[in-house]
Amino acid sequence: MATNPVVGALLLVLLVVAVVLLVLAVRHRLAFRIGLRNVYRARGRTVLLVLGLLVATTIVSGSLAVGDTITQVNVHYTVLGVGLNDEIVGNQSPSGTYTPFPYSVFTALSAGTAGDSSIAGMAPEVVSRFSLFDRTSGVPQTNLYLVGVNGNQSRQLGNFVADNGTSIPGPAPGEVLLDDLAASELNASAGDSVLLYGVSATPTPSVVQAVVQDNLRGAFPTGGVGDFGTGFVDLALGQRLANLSGSINVVSVTNVGDQANRLALALSVSATLNATLAGLPAARGLTVDQVLVGGLETADSAGSSISTLFLVLGLFSIVAGAMLIIGIFVLLAEERKGEMGVLRAIGLQGRELVYSYLFEGAVYSAGSALAGTFLGVGVGYGLAYAFGVLYRIPGLPADAILDSFTVTTETLVIAYVVGFLLTLVTVLVASRRASRLNIVRAIRDLPEPPPTLRAYTYLAYVGGASAVLGALLYATTYQGASDLSYPILGGTLVIVGLGLIACRFVQNRLAFSAAGAGLVVWGGLEPLHRALLGTAHGGGIFIVFVEGIVMVTGALLLYAFNSSALATAILRVAGGRAQRAPVARIALSYPSRRPARTTISLAIFALVVFTLVGIAATGATVDASLGATLQSESGGYTFVAYSATAVPDLPELVAANTTVAPYFSHVVPLVFGGVYVNVSGYAANPYSDDIYSAPTGGAASSSFYSTNQFTFTATAGGVSASQVFAELSSDPGVAIVDNSYSPVSNNLATSSSGPHPTVAPGDTMLLTNPLNGNSTRVTVIGVMTQSLVSGVFVSPPTAATLGYSQEKVFFLTLAPGASATRAAQVAKAAFFPYGLVVLNIADLLASSIASTEGAIGLLQIFVGLGLAVGIAAMGIVALRAVVERRREIGMVRANGFTSRMVLRAFFLEYSFVALVGIAIGTGLGLLIVWDLTQSASATSAGVSTFAVPWLNLALILVVAYGLSMLAVAEPCLRAAHLPPAEAVRPTE
Amino acid sequence: MTETVVVGKDVWKVYGSGETEVTALQGINIAIQRGEMLAVMGPSGCGKTTFLNCFSGLDEVTRGQVTLEGVDLHSMDDRTKSEYRARRVGFVFQAYNLLPVLSATENVEMPLLIAGVPGREARARARAMLTELGLGERLDRRPAELSGGQQQRVSLARALVGRPAIVWADEPTGNLDDEDSRQVTSLLRQLNQTYGQTMVVVTHDATVASSCDRTLRMRDGQFVS
Repeated sequence: MATNPVVGALLLVLLVVAVVLLVLAVRHRLAFRIGLRNVYRARGRTVLLVLGLLVATTIVSGSLAVGDTITQVNVHYTVLGVGLNDEIVGNQSPSGTYTPFPYSVFTALSAGTAGDSSIAGMAPEVVSRFSLFDRTSGVPQTNLYLVGVNGNQSRQLGNFVADNGTSIPGPAPGEVLLDDLAASELNASAGDSVLLYGVSATPTPSVVQAVVQDNLRGAFPTGGVGDFGTGFVDLALGQRLANLSGSINVVSVTNVGDQANRLALALSVSATLNATLAGLPAARGLTVDQVLVGGLETADSAGSSISTLFLVLGLFSIVAGAMLIIGIFVLLAEERKGEMGVLRAIGLQGRELVYSYLFEGAVYSAGSALAGTFLGVGVGYGLAYAFGVLYRIPGLPADAILDSFTVTTETLVIAYVVGFLLTLVTVLVASRRASRLNIVRAIRDLPEPPPTLRAYTYLAYVGGASAVLGALLYATTYQGASDLSYPILGGTLVIVGLGLIACRFVQNRLAFSAAGAGLVVWGGLEPLHRALLGTAHGGGIFIVFVEGIVMVTGALLLYAFNSSALATAILRVAGGRAQRAPVARIALSYPSRRPARTTISLAIFALVVFTLVGIAATGATVDASLGATLQSESGGYTFVAYSATAVPDLPELVAANTTVAPYFSHVVPLVFGGVYVNVSGYAANPYSDDIYSAPTGGAASSSFYSTNQFTFTATAGGVSASQVFAELSSDPGVAIVDNSYSPVSNNLATSSSGPHPTVAPGDTMLLTNPLNGNSTRVTVIGVMTQSLVSGVFVSPPTAATLGYSQEKVFFLTLAPGASATRAAQVAKAAFFPYGLVVLNIADLLASSIASTEGAIGLLQIFVGLGLAVGIAAMGIVALRAVVERRREIGMVRANGFTSRMVLRAFFLEYSFVALVGIAIGTGLGLLIVWDLTQSASATSAGVSTFAVPWLNLALILVVAYGLSMLAVAEPCLRAAHLPPAEAVRPTE
Repeated sequence: MTETVVVGKDVWKVYGSGETEVTALQGINIAIQRGEMLAVMGPSGCGKTTFLNCFSGLDEVTRGQVTLEGVDLHSMDDRTKSEYRARRVGFVFQAYNLLPVLSATENVEMPLLIAGVPGREARARARAMLTELGLGERLDRRPAELSGGQQQRVSLARALVGRPAIVWADEPTGNLDDEDSRQVTSLLRQLNQTYGQTMVVVTHDATVASSCDRTLRMRDGQFVS
């Protein structure tokens, strides 16, 4: 813990704050006593306050706990997945295939690093895909990972452990070890007779030597989650199955020592390996992948990303919590106004009042931060449960996340200190305002006078400073690729500043209404951002927070300065009867003529509902975009298929097979191969990728260029898709690329050679076959919308120049009326010897969308916790209102209001506040999602079809409104049942 | 011919029970005539406000009978009592008890709206009443923008705008300075004479009492003179 600088700094700040508070308490004992007395003299209220104040800490703590847990899960599975393969020497393309290289590279590498005592050992391996038919169980399985490795060479990597606990040094010659996952898929057990299909359609008979555990030695960092398992064979058999006679494609390296030691040695071992590889001409293109280091970094990064996502979305609730704190202290100050006035009258200094609030607030902050920290841990556990059970992550056991539930000491410290300081600062701001009271006005409970001209002049100066600062920020950031939130903040400061200046010269309503409208437009209109700021700006999800706060602030300003007009309009629109109704008159008068207090409640509701609706609308938009995404990703085809072995003429084979033929109306084969891609200006050249090309000569193959419906985000000269494909079919000098090459792509794909390069139409790229060194230069003429089949599409002559002719990737179209599920099963069975994997594109996207929907559901639950803030605010305001309006209630009762009319008036008033808050949040939540769908990255990602989640909206409305009405029910009933004779008395 | 508007027979009001029991009214008997302006005086805690609350229908009596315009208050449920107050009773309180979020006009028209008077008519009558009481220039001001005397005049306007049968005033000048006190007392008397409404004024102020037709003094929950 001491090694974490953030935690150290926070603890130091906490210590300083504690010491300052202690010193102040000693020096201002009276204020300290007054503050403490306020805490313990009304214990019920103290509990209520602590409950209201703990929200911020709960959100921080819950977010960090979720992050800790996800990190822990990832670390656990990374360590298991990596096994003892600390570094892997090879060249892996994004599609997962390893480029072969001569066995002599391993020999030279082994000799060259023999002097490095950090290396425990290394093993030459063949890593590929294969299919297996278990003749004993009768179950076939394609797309298994194949690891060819010799037992004697792999011993330093550790032994396999059979399910019965037996230690196995390595695969016996001619036999196969299956890991638990593969055995489970095949219903296989030791001794089963099996047929192995590698790149050749001719099977190799074998026997299952043992089923080994999916841990450490029985693992290989192949595909991780979602694969069908791994089979281990001896190197010779691996080479035969992968058709790599005399070659290997991976050297696996293990460092000495335990996990921590292996991790620590990774850098020096990599340096040694790289230095040795540099001197080996045959090792060109090979890189050292620090699998363990990378895996753990990814695990940590994934945990941090999830923490950040939850924290940023939770920020709205944190701001809402801060508003609640201010609201609570404003109410407290009003409640104690007379008492404070008397204290001031008998000689208490104004600053002593501030200190008394400070001490009182410090007690609340300390208590609420402690409670919030542990409540947050509970929330984190609930989310971990939801992650693991309600929202299943493919490939992970249901209880994996819950079993890994972790809360680090750092999390507890950060949550507590941040929560405490956040609450304390808010309390300080609120109490300073509360203590600035006029003694006479306080004692006589007189209203505050309107601001003087001097006050407006002061505001104008503040506004001027804000406008200048904002203009500077905007001017320095509006161009280029800086975080988008900077110019948006700059513009916001300008608008707010102009509003403050304007209020010196024109009516407040006019000045602040204009500022409010300006903020809503400025925060919420993506086309405006695009026009003024361009599309090059970066930034993550924090932008959503900035835009959200700007828009909600604008809407609240609009409400605050037009609330009376709104109430009058509602009464008018509601018609003559409502206008006459005294219940409606009173109900709408309080919120509209006490805008400050109402705005706090509105702000809380608006912020939380904004986030909830934003998340829901994002989910609906992703869902609605499925059709468009399917069209752009599928190119009009139903399936994409991959084979382990080249299929010479799949269209002919399908047509000739009477079982399969009825299921498919169209089969398009593509030549497939790995290449190095050199892009001018790309730092990490060469980039490993794959090429695709429709073979020439066959009827089916030529139809790819004329019948596919793939679309483009950009084409050279803006020509149509059909023109691009026509040119691609014949011109060996051109190529098209998938969307992961697009500059505005969200694709985070990387290969072992580095991050993904980006290109635009007109750019050139050099393609090189790493196996034979053949290379050719092509000009990009189109960037596709799809990224499902990632790589470079080239013309048939270009594929031939590079030396590729094997058809291993296919697009298939389902025949009308046929079952997609059955079609995939039939094709897989019929072409099993080729290791054909048939993937339904719609299912792939639906699965991805289901994951998104699950994640969105979780986020909604988490953000929904913020509703507690709104509900607490409403309840507290209502409780106070009953006390404050006691005589007014008595008066209307004396004038003929029945208790039911009082009840209706109160409910109507809080309904109005809740519904306006919900309406603001809903409107702006929908606006920001619409806004996002207009962005270039949304278009690129295929989520530009905006959709309104009506059902989800209705649920949010019912829950938010229903719970807030529950919160005010007791105060409303209390108000209704106040005996009029008691209520009209002058004392409270 | 005089008509009795308020009749109280052996009216008792007891608060609490056991050791905390307080008897606020002890067998009050009273008859108030229509158009009469009656002052009720007495020291603090003698039961003046309890008398007002119980006889106006704001509070229940423990024992005895209170009849307003021939109707037994005890026989009315909350709804009926509320409707009766809306149509036939007006109140003026020491602390004005105006609704701070409503303008002077809106405060005054409120009892009319409760009584079901159409909005346009209610607005016109409220404005006329306020103008009559000298607040024609402050019709749209909210209570916080008015002086104490002005607020009490708004309160008076609210009590009288519905032409109630009885107006109950609890220390109407208690919060006012001498000048405002004189004005309000004078207004009360003037309105009583103009509209013939029955007024019962609970007060400490001898000047107010002196302007009434009759003064009753209370001590320990009973009328002593």
